[in-house]
Formats: sequence, C-alpha cells, structure tokens
Amino acid sequence: MTPIPTAPTPAGRARPAPRWFGPLRWGALLLALLLGGLAWPTPAAAQAEVVTEARVYEIAKLLRCPVCVSESVAASSSPISVQMREQIQEMLVQGRSEREILGYFQERYGDWILLEPPKRGLHLLVWLLPAVAALVGLALLLTLVRRWTRAGREVPAVDEADLQRLREALREQE
Amino acid sequence: MKRLLLVIALTAGLGGLFLFGLLRGPPDRDIPSNLLGKPVPAFDLPLHTPYLAEYGPTFAFEPGAIGRPVVINFWAQWCAPCRYEAPVLQQAWQEYGDQALILGIQTQDRGNQAKGLEFIREFGLTFPSVIDDDSRTSIDYGLAGVPETFFIRADGTLAYKHAGPVTPELMDAKLRELLD
Repeated sequence: MTPIPTAPTPAGRARPAPRWFGPLRWGALLLALLLGGLAWPTPAAAQAEVVTEARVYEIAKLLRCPVCVSESVAASSSPISVQMREQIQEMLVQGRSEREILGYFQERYGDWILLEPPKRGLHLLVWLLPAVAALVGLALLLTLVRRWTRAGREVPAVDEADLQRLREALREQE
Repeated sequence: MKRLLLVIALTAGLGGLFLFGLLRGPPDRDIPSNLLGKPVPAFDLPLHTPYLAEYGPTFAFEPGAIGRPVVINFWAQWCAPCRYEAPVLQQAWQEYGDQALILGIQTQDRGNQAKGLEFIREFGLTFPSVIDDDSRTSIDYGLAGVPETFFIRADGTLAYKHAGPVTPELMDAKLRELLD
C-alpha cells in the first residue's frame, strides 16, 4: 500500500496524521448528516404545506377577483389575484384566522370583495328572499292542490228534470 | 277579469325585470372606495431611476405629512388607458406641481421595471413614480384595476377615487377642489 504523502515538516521529516483526527472526521460527518436530515422536509412539514395551500384556495374562493368579472381569487390567474393568494398564505402561516383574513380584504375593498354577501343589513335580503319566496310558493301550491282535490270530490248538482229524462231513456232501452 | 289582471300584472313585472337585466349593460366597475374620508395607507416604495437624485432610493409616503394635496395614480406599462392619461397627468404636474404632489405607482406589473422606465421616458414624465412590484400597495388601496387615481386632501384623507383614465377636465376640477 502506498503511504499517503504528507507535507514535510520544517525539519524535513514526514508528520504522521494525529490519532484524534480520525474520530473527529467521523464525528463531523455524522453531525453534517444529522443537520442535513433536520433541514430536509419531513412528511409532516410537507403535509402542513399542502394543508396551507388547500386552505389558501378555500379562503380565496370566498373572495372576488378585483379585476375580473364573476371570478373568484382562487380561480383567477390575474397578477392581483396571485398576489392576494400569496398574502393569504403569509397570513395563514402567521396564524391568522379565516375571519381575520377576510376582514383584512373587506377593510380595503368593502363588502363588494366578498363573493358571499355578509348576513347583515340590506344584504340579509339576499339570504331571506329566496326562503320567503320558497315558502310563498309552497303555500300557493298547497292551496291549489287542496282546491283541485275538493273539486274532484264534490258531486255536481243535477236538475230533477234531467234525471227524469235519463230514467225514461234507460227504461226505453230495457 | 280580476284573475286576468293579476296574470297581466305579474307578467309585466317579470318582463320589466328581465328587460332591466338585459339593458343595464356590463357590471359597473366604478366601485366607490372604502377609504373615502379616511386616511390613506402609508407606503415606502423604491423610485424609478430618473427620480433617485431628487428623492433618494425610496419614497416614504405618510398621509398628511407632505402638507399639501396628493394625487396618486396607479399605472402599468401594459395598460392602454394609462398611455392615454400619461400626458394629462404630466400637464397637471406642470400646472399644479408647486401646490400639489402627483405620484405615480407602477403596479400589477411584476418584474417589468425596465419597461416601466421606457414608459416614463416615452411620455417624459417628470413627476415621481415608484415601483409596487408585489402589488401590496395596490391591495392596501383596494385597487380594482389600472389606471386608478386617488385624490388625497392635505390632511391625508381620501377625497375622491377615479377608476379609468383621467381627463384634463377631471384633473382640473378635482385639483381645484383639493386646493380650495
């Protein structure tokens, strides 16, 4: 085996590698592997990232894209929607709630930015009117159905003279 | 007879609603700003190179701190109406620059500072213009598109927001209102 050349010492003799160098090198290697492992994304961290992204889209679905027509921030690829999604992600990472995030955009754009109108004030009409209309429709339908069925059960009034003519006609046939 | 009248009234009502829906045109984009009457958001944004010598590397805007009315115009180099209004803004700056500040903000234009600089040079814009590369400031101002122009009182509160390109008449009228 060829010996590994080492730099000569000032006295002209080869200096042997110190005995402690071997274990230290192994220790450094182990430490590097350990730190590298820590820096590597764990499945849990990756899962958290996926969850955050899914949450970003859930919240972005509730916001109107400011520069589009009838499109949500989640569906739009406009630069401002992309930026809004980035902002939602940052706020989620900071631990802000959905309500706080929606409030942030509402404060800047007004109620208009929400795709679902808030359940207060004049907006309540949007929520209540369909229910009221459904109830009125149901009541109307029930009234009509009752009227039709009653009409079917009622025996029509027949003139006594007509009955007499009918009896005579039947008798003649016999 | 009564029933017939009811049917006619219902049909006329529904027909009227249908016609209203058909004739009212595209949705209105000129949404009133939620900032009206309130202090506008502060920002600190990098300036385009032609203004560095006069204003430094960034323009730190604090509402009410300038002591005179401010007109903030959000623009992008790709936006056609911005090209229409650029000379109007420059003209207003020449007329009112000693009494009010006009400030341009290039926004919704990520990574296009060089093209923004070309735009500034093409129209010879001498009023300062900053770069809102991540569009954060435009979100802070509740921007719904470009161009939009915010007319801010000397005390830093928003007096009026205009969506779409400004005209010389509008600039004149709104600046006079702010200065009165």
